[in-house]
Amino acid sequence: MKSIKSLILFFSISIITGCAAGNKYDYNQADISLPVKGSGDISLGVIDNRDYVHSGKKPAKFVGLQRGGFGNPFDVTTRSGKSLTEDMSVALTRSLEKSGFNVDELYFSASDTSLITSVIKNNGQQKNIVLTVNEWKTDVMMSIAVIYDLLLQIKDKDGNELASASSSSDGKETVSGAGFEGQNSRVATSTFETKISRLFNNPEIIEALEK
Amino acid sequence: MIHKLKFSIISFFLIYLTGCANTELISDVDPNKDLSGVRSFHVNKFEKDGRGIEIIIAKKLNEMGFKATHGSSKNIPLTAQAIVEYSDKWMWDITMYMLELNIDFRDPETNYKFATGRSYRTSLARKNPEEMVDEVLNEIFKQQKGH
Repeated sequence: MKSIKSLILFFSISIITGCAAGNKYDYNQADISLPVKGSGDISLGVIDNRDYVHSGKKPAKFVGLQRGGFGNPFDVTTRSGKSLTEDMSVALTRSLEKSGFNVDELYFSASDTSLITSVIKNNGQQKNIVLTVNEWKTDVMMSIAVIYDLLLQIKDKDGNELASASSSSDGKETVSGAGFEGQNSRVATSTFETKISRLFNNPEIIEALEK
Repeated sequence: MIHKLKFSIISFFLIYLTGCANTELISDVDPNKDLSGVRSFHVNKFEKDGRGIEIIIAKKLNEMGFKATHGSSKNIPLTAQAIVEYSDKWMWDITMYMLELNIDFRDPETNYKFATGRSYRTSLARKNPEEMVDEVLNEIFKQQKGH
């Protein structure tokens, strides 16, 4: 009877945690195919504007939740160990370079407009891409859902906005059934590729980048 | 005590079995892309696919009134307005079944993914590949009809 109780306890703990603890996703491996072709120099900055990161409740490398058998959440973080926005910047830089641009990566410590303008002016590029991540988080249990709020801006050398596009989910957006860590990471990354490339497929954005 | 144990075991299996009948059918089409203007497709064979899913996809697109070819990425017709890429995942549960099918439509010049569809079906909700191709493609095109 004691060994049966131990076995039940073991299985219960396994179900509750499952493979939920310690999951990591590979956003810096995202392969984003952009609907633009261009040339010349451009700068790129990705800003983390998630309020729970600013407040310190979650680290910058937090990317979402993986839930155990009873819905109990465990944090998912970046595989690289770097912040989510650093991973996004690496992936987006690679994609812009594939599209023909020479990319200068910029770092903004906050989403403050005057700070962004100051960094852009100091850098001196004619065209500047600023991606603000107000929210990006996956929530995984039986299915994979993503909650996102993204703003893409193209700014000139003085920090003036030339074009912008935004995209956000209406609450949790289900994108797939859930599997193990590797598969979930691929789905999350693929969803990021889709959402980011979609932002670029805006006539004003394309015109601002290609002229 | 025995009754409590029986109840726990039965509850456990009921919870476990609901996971065996999980389905998701999702599509995401760029609202800036007018799918009605896309009439010709080329279905790229997924390198890991040994079941000829690309033939099923091309056949279904042709049945839907489009012009679809299939093969490798090296023989894409110049007239193709969209490249179709897919990936399938199979599992074993007494027999093999298709767990997941992803279908993407890409621009042939930029490789930009302007439409995506996904069907996910666990064991108790399984369908054959033809039915899964059918539901994913219908789900993608249904999005545009709603506009």
